[in-house]
Amino acid sequence: MNINPKIDKKDSLTISEYIKNFARKHSLFVLAYGTGCGAIEIPPTMTSRYDAERFGIRGAATPRQADVLLITGYLATKTLKRVIRVYEQMQDPKYVIGFGSCTINGGMYWDSYNTINSLDKYIPVDVFINGCMPRPEAVISGFVKLQEYIQEGKADGWLKYQNNIEEYRANQKRVIKNWRMPDYNW
Amino acid sequence: MSEHIKEKETLEAITTAFEKVNGVVQRDKRIIVRTEAETIPGVLLYAKERLKYNHFSHMSCVDWIEDKQFELVYILWSPEDKIQLIIKCRINRENPIMQNIDNIWRQANTYEREIREMYGIEFEGLVGAKEFILEDWEDMPPMRRDFDTKEYSNDHFFDRPGREDAKDVRTEITERSGEEIPDFAKKYTRD
Repeated sequence: MNINPKIDKKDSLTISEYIKNFARKHSLFVLAYGTGCGAIEIPPTMTSRYDAERFGIRGAATPRQADVLLITGYLATKTLKRVIRVYEQMQDPKYVIGFGSCTINGGMYWDSYNTINSLDKYIPVDVFINGCMPRPEAVISGFVKLQEYIQEGKADGWLKYQNNIEEYRANQKRVIKNWRMPDYNW
Repeated sequence: MSEHIKEKETLEAITTAFEKVNGVVQRDKRIIVRTEAETIPGVLLYAKERLKYNHFSHMSCVDWIEDKQFELVYILWSPEDKIQLIIKCRINRENPIMQNIDNIWRQANTYEREIREMYGIEFEGLVGAKEFILEDWEDMPPMRRDFDTKEYSNDHFFDRPGREDAKDVRTEITERSGEEIPDFAKKYTRD
């Protein structure tokens, strides 16, 4: 597997990085994929009342066109398999937002046999939005936080995933016992 | 009082047609019939063909772990009389086998597959008796009451620190209302 070399973090950004980050943070294409009950908060966020498009947030139809993967709510082990496949199909740079308390510590499904408890063990999460459910204001504030991180160059979950792929794979295989997934080559 | 005339007629028709069937009109528009596992297809077919209970609402299962039994619940609905007919039977919890009824209602197949997976009850000649909702499940059927979901979660998923201070308020509540925690629930503590 071809893994990108580790990129050294500089204190200050170059002009080209600044411009790239500026462009990226103002065009966040969110994959239209809802995993739990939280997906119901996305239509009001996107439509006229809260109008997330003024921040450059809009929907994308396929994983290959999307920048942001929004994990909305609890994640069953079956869904985790699909989420991993979706995440690996997305183009770099890609960002993950964990949405709702279920992605943080399991939420009200903390002792359930088929929902995972903490999302960031399986895929890297850039921003968590807590709440059950988070209101559209909270969702937008999470997106604004993500934009700040992108501008500062701190939203590097996708690099973390490439550099620590073995660790993430081991955690994923602990849940998904019958591993029949394609290996992507970045 | 002239209440529950239709319900009583239906119940009487069933109890006279079959032996080892007893039932009760639980309330308005609801009849509960208890019978044995062998007579279940007969009762269902009779209710469907003769009594016009032709809508199969639901099929469910209850785990009576103290009695070492599973209870299967078939819920029928009569669109004509607007009465719900609930038919129950109990089977042995060790090696549970039940007759397949999906030749009476085809949609029972889905319920039977789910019950087979969630409770481990085998249905004779069930079509599609394979993995249904759970993927790659290797443990005990998860809806059985002796399956410890907390333990499974601890073994397979990652707990984030910070939930340890969650307080167990059950003792407080039971003392306040003068009740007792049942024995089977005592093992689910947060200590």
